[in-house]
Amino acid sequence: MQTATIKFTKNDLAKYPFLKEAADYVKTLELKIEDLASPEFSQILERAKERVEEAILYTIVSRKLQNEEVEILSFPTATMLAAATENSFIKRRYALAEAKQTYNDLKFEPRAKILAIAENFQWKILTVNAEEAAAPYEFKLHFTNYLKNTTSLRERKWKLVNRPLTHGNVYLTKNETARLLSEEVRRHIEKRLEIKELPKLPQKITETAETLKSLTIEKIGKAEIEGIPKTVNKEAFPPCITALYEAASKGRHISHIARFTLTTFLVNIGMPTENIVDLFRASSDFNERLTRYQVEHIAGERGSRTRYKPPKCQTLQTHGVCTNPDTQCKEKTHHPLVYYRKRIRDLK
Amino acid sequence: MSSLTFTHEMFRKYYAEDFPLNTSVPFIEKREFGFALFENQMVRHKSFRSIEEVKFFLQSFVPCDVYFSCAYYENPTAEMERKNWLGADLIFDIDADHIPTPCERIHDRWVCGNCGFVGRGVMPERCPLCSGEKLSAETWPCEVCLEAAKIEAIKLLDVLQDDFGFSKSELRVFFSGHRGYHVHVECEAVKALDSMARKEIVDYVSGLGLETSLPHVKERSFKKRFPLETVKSFSFGWSRRLTDGLQTFLSSVKEDDLRKLGFRKDAVNVIMQRKDGILRDLYNSGMVHTVRGVGLKTWEKLVKHIATLQSVKIDTVVTTDVHRLIRMPETLNSKTGFKKADVQISAIDDFDPFRDAIAFRKGMVKVRVLDVPKFRIGDETFGPYRDRKVELPTAAALLLVCKGRAEVVENV
Repeated sequence: MQTATIKFTKNDLAKYPFLKEAADYVKTLELKIEDLASPEFSQILERAKERVEEAILYTIVSRKLQNEEVEILSFPTATMLAAATENSFIKRRYALAEAKQTYNDLKFEPRAKILAIAENFQWKILTVNAEEAAAPYEFKLHFTNYLKNTTSLRERKWKLVNRPLTHGNVYLTKNETARLLSEEVRRHIEKRLEIKELPKLPQKITETAETLKSLTIEKIGKAEIEGIPKTVNKEAFPPCITALYEAASKGRHISHIARFTLTTFLVNIGMPTENIVDLFRASSDFNERLTRYQVEHIAGERGSRTRYKPPKCQTLQTHGVCTNPDTQCKEKTHHPLVYYRKRIRDLK
Repeated sequence: MSSLTFTHEMFRKYYAEDFPLNTSVPFIEKREFGFALFENQMVRHKSFRSIEEVKFFLQSFVPCDVYFSCAYYENPTAEMERKNWLGADLIFDIDADHIPTPCERIHDRWVCGNCGFVGRGVMPERCPLCSGEKLSAETWPCEVCLEAAKIEAIKLLDVLQDDFGFSKSELRVFFSGHRGYHVHVECEAVKALDSMARKEIVDYVSGLGLETSLPHVKERSFKKRFPLETVKSFSFGWSRRLTDGLQTFLSSVKEDDLRKLGFRKDAVNVIMQRKDGILRDLYNSGMVHTVRGVGLKTWEKLVKHIATLQSVKIDTVVTTDVHRLIRMPETLNSKTGFKKADVQISAIDDFDPFRDAIAFRKGMVKVRVLDVPKFRIGDETFGPYRDRKVELPTAAALLLVCKGRAEVVENV
């Protein structure tokens, strides 16, 4: 067992500028937002812009460690730039790119440093000694930290059920620990970018944000985002929805989660509320007022005004709603709506 | 006296006289309470500052079912969007409905909503008489079913303590008062887990997505023996469960069991002949000898079967719902008149729902029974009855009335 006593060097802070120590260091400089627009900080703003650009273009943020000061200060500046774009694609992309570079660096760090960075995020983590577990495993991490950073990873090997787990701890290799830490970094940066109201920013900053936005439109304009056609095409339903649709129209009893899945799916492919209510009419416990209320709620026409999405395939598997998956289901489809959209395109 | 008046009166009596004030509800003021009333209404978004307040409400309004949220809120009485979720206990619901038992054929009934035909056992997709598809099921809390549910609860407790590292003081086990068990995990570590994280815990517990494939065939021809990939190197978690399961299964396996799994005849013969050797190997090294006549596919099928046996059958929706209302401990279940009763983890083997969850121990009531299998309350056995008037102890009569299988009458 080993706990972190390591102190981060300035070089570390340049490499991992999201660390608490880096933020503390920036604070000691007592900078104001307005200062960023001044000429003596032009190098920092330039580097910050570059960070976001690299993220948009290549989904990575390379490290420039010759000038540690600039590297450390350009991180909070870049975060502000990304936030100033108010563009969710840029924000997500920037967080992802910083995280990717973090993974590339972390992989090669000694255990003690990985441990220190993990503890910076309040991870409950320990190193593993040789008697405890076989060779590849170097760390054990509490399952709550593990789950928070794996639920968005789709590979099978990350599923908790396939991990050695005992006394609340998951065994991890060094590489895996680095990967999960980078996921923590991604979430950490995304959270920082979630600011609801931006402070008043100097013109130079807002201008730079605009430039970044046009760069993005140019870039994602290429990847055509196809919408879902207005008319409902039952032939393109995934097998689970076909089965649920059948069951509902015949008045067969279907579980709560199954109803939710069917309703959200139909709402999202543009079926009118009226038709969805009609679909449930055959059910023996049909209550028009209640059904209409629920469907309208799900469609975002009432209450919280959010339109709910159907659960992911993984979730449907857990609850036993996934039935007769076909080849398209198995080939990289992770969501019923993705299946539908792709199928519509293929049927054309 | 009508059956409804009888039930209502008994519930009122319980909440006024017997409901224990030492019922533990951590952070009671942060939870939402919900009640189902005898008038077929649901009251939600209630909140109480103490157990005394809850008791006062219960004896004044006498609800038929009482629930509280597994979630903690800043404003428990606000509408859903304004409650401000602070966290939630981790809840598991084990219900006999999710466990196949041999006895459901005897005591479960289903009714066709179209023609009124009554059938027994597992509900079919359509009515055999009129082909109607609007069927509804009527279940029965039977001893065999509840024993099966208890075994699942014991398996779950093993996973939660050994794998997830929860201590006994963080776990609370209850008999639901009807057909199953509830396990509540109450500790700081789980509170903040979101629905996706809880889903992964569900998958772990029920073995969904467990990798049961074995190493590539080529390796086998070199080494002549191969490790069960998921079994190797660990003496805990799913590795242990698979090894243990294989040992238990093989040591008492009959030819018939293997044939039911769809194994070919020669494979069955080989396994039966050499199972002692296989077991010894498994025990010593967690490795399996390759045996002529038993291919990798067969082994994989066997491991999959073991995984199913070792998995815990839970209601997946309950655990993943971070706002769930769950029955409050020590309150009555309107499907039976039994209590949701506390189960001591160290004494779970001895827990007897038909003795320990009984809320009424005095008095006799006359009922006309429509149709009921043999059942037990405490040490006394009753039935089976069919279309008969009998005088029964209060708890027994209440059970039949609550299940809709008897009516209160004036004279026997």
